Amino acid sequence: MARRRVVITGIGVISPLGDSPNRLFEALQAGKSGVSPIHRFDASSLPTRFAAEVADFRLADYLPETKLWQDAGLASEFAAAASQLALADAGLLPGATGVDRTRFAVYLGTGEGTQQFDALMGAVAVGYVPQSRSIDSARYAAFATQVYHPGREYEQELHTPIAHLAEYFDLQGPNYGCLTACAAGAQALAEATDLIRAGEADLVLAGGAHSMIHPLGVTGFNLLTALSTRNDAPQQASRPFDRDRDGFVLGEGAGMLILEELDHARRRGGKILGELTGFGVTCDAYRVTDSHPEGRGAAECMRQALADSGLKPEQIGYINAHGTSTKVNDAAETAAIKQVFGQHAYQIPISSTKSMTGHLIGAAGAVEAIICLEAIRRGMIPPTINYTTPDPECDLDYVPNHPRACRFDHALSNSFGFGGQNVSLIISRYSAEPG
Amino acid sequence: MSSTRRVVITGMGLLTPLGAGTVANWDAVLAGRTGIARLRMFDPTPLSVQIGGEIPEFDAKNYIEKKDRKSLKHMSRTVQLGVAAARLALDDARLGKGATNPDRFGVVYGTGTIPGELLDLAAPAAATFDRETGRIDMSRWGTEGMPLLPPMWLLNHVPNMTACHVSILNDARGPNNTITLSHLGSLMALGEAVRMIRRGSADVIIVGGADTRTDLLSLIRCSLFLNLSRRNAEPELALRPFDRDRDGTVLGEGAAALILEDIDHARQRGATILGEVVAFAAGFDAGCHGSGFARVIRQACAQASDSVAALDHVNARAPGTIPDDAWEARAIRGTVPQLPVVAYKANLSNLGAAADIAELILSLHAFRQGILPATRNHAHPAVDCPVTVCRQARPIQGQAVLKLGGTELGQCAAVIVHCGTSG
Repeated sequence: MARRRVVITGIGVISPLGDSPNRLFEALQAGKSGVSPIHRFDASSLPTRFAAEVADFRLADYLPETKLWQDAGLASEFAAAASQLALADAGLLPGATGVDRTRFAVYLGTGEGTQQFDALMGAVAVGYVPQSRSIDSARYAAFATQVYHPGREYEQELHTPIAHLAEYFDLQGPNYGCLTACAAGAQALAEATDLIRAGEADLVLAGGAHSMIHPLGVTGFNLLTALSTRNDAPQQASRPFDRDRDGFVLGEGAGMLILEELDHARRRGGKILGELTGFGVTCDAYRVTDSHPEGRGAAECMRQALADSGLKPEQIGYINAHGTSTKVNDAAETAAIKQVFGQHAYQIPISSTKSMTGHLIGAAGAVEAIICLEAIRRGMIPPTINYTTPDPECDLDYVPNHPRACRFDHALSNSFGFGGQNVSLIISRYSAEPG
Repeated sequence: MSSTRRVVITGMGLLTPLGAGTVANWDAVLAGRTGIARLRMFDPTPLSVQIGGEIPEFDAKNYIEKKDRKSLKHMSRTVQLGVAAARLALDDARLGKGATNPDRFGVVYGTGTIPGELLDLAAPAAATFDRETGRIDMSRWGTEGMPLLPPMWLLNHVPNMTACHVSILNDARGPNNTITLSHLGSLMALGEAVRMIRRGSADVIIVGGADTRTDLLSLIRCSLFLNLSRRNAEPELALRPFDRDRDGTVLGEGAAALILEDIDHARQRGATILGEVVAFAAGFDAGCHGSGFARVIRQACAQASDSVAALDHVNARAPGTIPDDAWEARAIRGTVPQLPVVAYKANLSNLGAAADIAELILSLHAFRQGILPATRNHAHPAVDCPVTVCRQARPIQGQAVLKLGGTELGQCAAVIVHCGTSG
């Protein structure tokens, strides 16, 4: 029996560069950076004081009814808004005819909920006994009980954002969520594809949503020295593959896609935007903080994706790189691409749109899948901006600074997470004949 | 079915307040013991909830080779528990280093939030918290607070770190995922891992869950939004599955892991097969009405039509809260009313993201022993829970178990494991 094919029939995006695939892609094509000084909180004393924020976001601008999200964190709200956009795009909002909602699943890639910084830290400060280096449980409890907001604490539980989507959008199929750091959004799309192939669902609302632009998020990454500290030139800070890259730049947002079994989409007359033809999922099993220096897991992951799609390396017309702008990732990813594609690696246009959007962490892979889809549809490859000085370790074609018109049918998108999880997706132009 | 690859269980690892290892836990449950007690690891007097299931004797060093022990300082307690359960399961499956192809060896864990170590935050918070405003002084946080945090602070408690450390310690380079369904996490992880093996991405997967909810931070947080029993005076009677007098769940800490394996791979290496996963279904039952959960159970039964007649019992989630137990009972009543029901949270405490697999392990071991332990603290059947709960241990009569899991928001799943002799 032939494998069930999985097509994309709706997309929704909330990003630092706009809340529609059109606006996002036009900004990317223009080489625009979404990075600016952090407005959301006072970051003045932190080593990194800039990020790519989603400015002026209000959930009520997207949803008629926002009560379920009244205590939710920003990432959960981003997920809701992008889901509404994707479902509307696909004609699949609740009440749509000809759809069995029990066959409609959700798979959300995300991160930890946002902690209530002042409440958490305040209770610890009040309870701390420096002499004995201990926490006095009575003092801690008295203060915490006073300042912890029950609703906001509950919304940090990891199943809550998923349940809200299922309830609001009437998705009665399997509820999945994953947290694999920077790979989560892509991993959700990969495993959602498999849910459909395996027959456990006909439709999946899948993607990623994340924000770590809050005090403990920036602090945590600063402690790991993972973030760029180019505070004097924030818009030039994310410079993937450039010799002078010094870390990534935090972004935030959500990308949600409607994945649908091909015959189901045809039967209901859904518009087919593209096809998810292959994926690979591997693990470095190397170190918690660093990716494997030769890109061992990353290379295997890309190979798996190619094998899964049945495509030859030469058929890949564009690689949307993980390309974080950290020293280690960009060199290791380059090495991995060369291992997989051999000499052909030098012929494939590769870009990192993180140079413009920043790194959306758990949402990155999903937003970048949408970018790949748009790039195929428009025949236009978005650039890697801020690329000025070549790095001998990164010697491929990174589409520096200017977009490139180019018709192609298959794009490969990489996402690699802190902790070693690797995901590669292959997004293809839809054709009635399987590739 | 799109594939004929069959998925079997060849190892079990269990670490709970009742002890370490399947045998110790099963013996304790059969004897009717509980791991729920007044909290001992800190003084709980100031808290509204003072009971839970702790593992004070847990020492991760017992589960990790000497050369790897330096990584323990980067693992929160939850991660350490998860790593330990993986070790127990691998030992049980007799899967030593190099026994399987690393590229086809995966890890999938279910997770909830992982509490960070409060003491890590203490000095930075004390240095920058302004009691007048009730806020951290952000103009000094970056220079006077942040530098006092451990450099790896973020990675100590990010939930995917359990699966990451398990992969590193065991050279598991295949698919690796962390499923964020809180109390339903490990059962959804099981569903995904089965699919990964069926599709051919892996031959062996460590699937598990770990949770820690008895620390100060988790208890205070959870008592704000979960239905927790306030029966502080009689902790051993506090969690009462499907009972008329139930008043909430009791949180615990622990971890559980299974080794899932492609049946041919297991046979080739001569592994002991403990059971075969023959069905998995999941869904969302808005408002916890029961009809959605019932649909999920029916789907699982339809997938395993050969095994339905062989079902011996239902292993229920039954956290001991009023709405959750009633919801699950309605679903069971509407689908498999004839089956006896067991629930083991009164013994184990509510192990959160580890609960489903921990409880399933007790059933799997029951098939080997031929006897099914009773449900503790089910003294007065509740009118709103119309199910037949096993109040006494009984001989195993069938060959399969139906395990149920859920969240208080309506996410639910059902798995059927066949433990009899099979072709």
